[in-house]
Amino acid sequence: MRGNAMALSLSWRLFRHEARRGELTVILLAIVLSVASVLSLSLFSERLQSALSDKSAEFLAADRMLGSDKPVPDSWLEEARQRGLAVSQRNQLRSMAFANDKMMLTDVRAVDAFYPLKGVVKVSDMPFGLPQETRDLPALGEVWIGSRLFQVLGISLGDELEIGDKAFVVSKAVIELPDGGFNLFGGDPVVLMNLADLPATNVTGPGSRTDYDYLFAGEDSALDDYYAYLKPQLNRELHYWRSVKDEDSPLGRSVKRAEQYFLLASLLAIVLAAVSIAVAAQRYSQRHYDPVAIMKTLGAPAAMVRRVYLLQILFITLLGIVVGGVVGFGIQQLIASLIADKVPVALDTWYWRPFFIAIFTGLVCAMLFSLYPLLKLFSVPPLRVLRRDLGASMGSRSLQFVAAGLAIFLLMWAYSGNLTISAILLACGLLLVASLMLVTLGLIAVGRKLGQGRMGAWQLAWARISRRAMDNSVQLISFAVTIMLLLVVLVMRNDMVQQWRDQLPEGTPNYFMINITQQQLPKLEQHFVEHGVDIEHFYPVVRGRFAAINEETIRTDVSKEEDSNSRGRQGLGREANLTWSNQLQHENHVVEGTWHGEQSSEGEPRVSVEKEVALRLGIKMGDLLTFNIGSEVVKAKVSSVREVNWQTMQPNFFFVLEPRSMANFSPTYITSFHLDSDKKPELAGLMAPFPTVSLFDVDARINQLRSIVEQVSMAVEFILVLVLCAGTLVLVAQVQSSMDERMQELAILRTLGAKGLLIRMSVILEFVIIGMVAGLMAAMANELALYLLQTQIFNMQASIHWDFWLLAPLVGALVVGILGALSCWRLLSFNTSELLRRMI
Amino acid sequence: MTLTSNMISTKAITKTVTTSQGELQILQPISFDVKAGETVAIVGASGSGKSTLLGLLAGLDQVSSGEIYLDNQPLHSMDEEQRARLRGEKVGFIFQSFMLVQSLTALENIMLPAEIAGLSDARKRALEALEQVGLSHRGSHYPNQLSGGEQQRVAIARAFITRPKILFADEPTGNLDAANGDKIENLLFDLNQQLGTTLILVTHDSELAARCQRQLKMHGGVLEDTSVTALEGQRHAG
Repeated sequence: MRGNAMALSLSWRLFRHEARRGELTVILLAIVLSVASVLSLSLFSERLQSALSDKSAEFLAADRMLGSDKPVPDSWLEEARQRGLAVSQRNQLRSMAFANDKMMLTDVRAVDAFYPLKGVVKVSDMPFGLPQETRDLPALGEVWIGSRLFQVLGISLGDELEIGDKAFVVSKAVIELPDGGFNLFGGDPVVLMNLADLPATNVTGPGSRTDYDYLFAGEDSALDDYYAYLKPQLNRELHYWRSVKDEDSPLGRSVKRAEQYFLLASLLAIVLAAVSIAVAAQRYSQRHYDPVAIMKTLGAPAAMVRRVYLLQILFITLLGIVVGGVVGFGIQQLIASLIADKVPVALDTWYWRPFFIAIFTGLVCAMLFSLYPLLKLFSVPPLRVLRRDLGASMGSRSLQFVAAGLAIFLLMWAYSGNLTISAILLACGLLLVASLMLVTLGLIAVGRKLGQGRMGAWQLAWARISRRAMDNSVQLISFAVTIMLLLVVLVMRNDMVQQWRDQLPEGTPNYFMINITQQQLPKLEQHFVEHGVDIEHFYPVVRGRFAAINEETIRTDVSKEEDSNSRGRQGLGREANLTWSNQLQHENHVVEGTWHGEQSSEGEPRVSVEKEVALRLGIKMGDLLTFNIGSEVVKAKVSSVREVNWQTMQPNFFFVLEPRSMANFSPTYITSFHLDSDKKPELAGLMAPFPTVSLFDVDARINQLRSIVEQVSMAVEFILVLVLCAGTLVLVAQVQSSMDERMQELAILRTLGAKGLLIRMSVILEFVIIGMVAGLMAAMANELALYLLQTQIFNMQASIHWDFWLLAPLVGALVVGILGALSCWRLLSFNTSELLRRMI
Repeated sequence: MTLTSNMISTKAITKTVTTSQGELQILQPISFDVKAGETVAIVGASGSGKSTLLGLLAGLDQVSSGEIYLDNQPLHSMDEEQRARLRGEKVGFIFQSFMLVQSLTALENIMLPAEIAGLSDARKRALEALEQVGLSHRGSHYPNQLSGGEQQRVAIARAFITRPKILFADEPTGNLDAANGDKIENLLFDLNQQLGTTLILVTHDSELAARCQRQLKMHGGVLEDTSVTALEGQRHAG
């Protein structure tokens, strides 16, 4: 009991004095760093993710959607409300709209008062007008309609429009619906009406095909629970459940990737923290060899020594966690408020999980990574008081590496719950460590040769590198691991943001025109050129029914065949848009077979099929497809399967035929073009000479996509900056701790009268060499890690980053060299006797 | 064995270490006794084995063979924990490099052995000891704020605080200039006399050795002479 009290008091005193004298700074900093970076990263990413999924939920107008071919039991909706979810209903069907003796097929959406649960409806007082957000919905007896409908039916605001048996007053133009979807061919103009008006139209009778959509919004966990409740009752034929996180939507993919990136960045922050704690703990342990030997000599039993130092580590850890918590929270708050106007992160929401994770990380890191150095410390023999060369007598370093690797892996796994990411990072780390060991051996050999001759800075640097091979190998490994982790985060961010931006470059077409006749084409082209609008390409289109595969007629299941605006879910649509060309379109890649190209062939004409349609309809290479075009029949053999980037905002086609097969048909043309938003008012004039050409405005949709991409990119950049800061601090800690080990040698050199310049140059050169080698190794390991991460986790295209092979060694040499020079500067500013005294 | 008045008794102790070239015997069998209250100097050239011998006598290291008794306790058959307890109870130390804990103040360094021994009046004793070595105004200073002589005085105060039966000193004046060395010597022998402590010191300094009642001369791991009296020693030195 007495021993315990004594240990507590002694260790508290040691802690207090050492903290005051700045001797704990490095290990404390390491713990603060780990807690702060993990906390700020995970808190920020938690907030950001919630902001982003809110934003992307707008695309569904909800967090989740239940689609059904029939109305679902009220009890299902009641259950959702009971679970605290917001519920909204939307019925969607195709119906003819009549006005001025004209008619057009429209996309009727009847919604209740709660619609939309996420996002906003944007309307205007004129067709194609500037969008204004509204919280209202059409009043009873009124409809809001898409701009194109005004154009086609020749009506204006206040006119009547008939849907089924009911006449409505057109009161606004719909510019944008959050769940507007985007499909050029299936996209009939929207008619938005009040759900209560729908029965009076009598268009939902038997034979009509109405989608009954139920929208839900609420907490993720409540939504998941609700789905768990719903799932057993759903009929796959009738129902489907959608979420924005579904990988099948391009947006879902981006959000998912961003989430994975945050996770990755946090994991790397943990690893960085662990590395810095390991470095610092090592140093801490070495500095306490003497006190332990003294205590043992003075008769302290082993248990007492253990208690004193475990308690001290505990004090340090607790202080580190508290300070790290405050710092991390501050950083996060700062960043969030800095970007508040760009990304709507809610600062007032409180998330407990990041705090638990941060505290857990701090505790586990501090305890696990100081364990081995502490065990070594405990093993210091009392005889060290007489023989100063006696150090700790513990087993090999490999044990330390195994323990550290295992601990990092467990931490990553526990945190991410993702075995693959954790395993990839660990495997790359191990490979890096193994190859660095080899490189170090090589360096020693090289160093022996290079270090010979008259003692200049260069020789001194190499001599030190080769003599301190083991220490340097540890240092090299920690530098390289740090640089590699930074590279992974950096390159990953570059690749990801680039791929996102590539989807929607500046000048992405924001208008589509269809129904351009062959006669109109030259006039229209000229007219647009005169008005300064570039149009790249006009695609010929002929509508045809896809009738048979290998002469086997396709079953026409009504419920499956009707088109809807969700690409690919419910079949092809009544008619396919057939185009023909010898040129493979931009952003189309042949994944099977060969593109038919310019060379004409004998026999059946050839056709190229889009990959997902081929998959869904079971079309294989070499199949003979039959299309009915009017009364004509066209047969074509599948000669290639294409992967199409649907996000390019250019017309894309499921079927591209060889031109000779379509020579007898007169097509209409379709194209897309870009018009700056300030030129929007000119649009009406631009289109006036061509009243029969239909115009689609997809500007709103593009802006929506682009703003999400920009917000995600920006968030990712901030995370990158955070990780870079963490990494730099780790490097500083490493250089500092290795400076300690060099102090003695510097003192001796100084005493022997070596010039400051020689010492400084030799130290800088040593660090430059180490930094360069570490950078090069990191670039190599980075490549492997990236390849695995991008192909296995992020589903991205992997590529080699040659520029980093040059950049990493240079930056490594520069940064590590500068840090070395700075610490060296500090050391050399002491006079010799002070230096000698500090060595004790 | 029967209890004797010997503070230290060694019987054919040896020390062998394993090197890359094989086994190396750094101490040949050594036997001698030290009586309670006696002052003994171990002298010899560098590498003669005197520090090794000191380490064994103080229970900091384990003999390879032979028997060694400290205040009639069989050091040779004790494990590290038992030896630590024995050191805490009966042994004081002074080192060439002072071996103060850098992050404890002078006063706290002096308190340390008393605290480890569980003495409740550690602080009071330490203040007295500080006074005795003339450093009461420096109690709150850290070792690196003290001169070498002051540090060694703190170390002496620390060595005596638990009233050890035997004191081991390893080159106690080795890091000090002549004037400071003399002061330290005087302080050491004065306190030793006052408290009746057995003193075993290792030194190169023949004058310091001459102040001891007996000198043990080491040469190449062999104890050459165990019978030099204080007077004879003075004659030798002279």
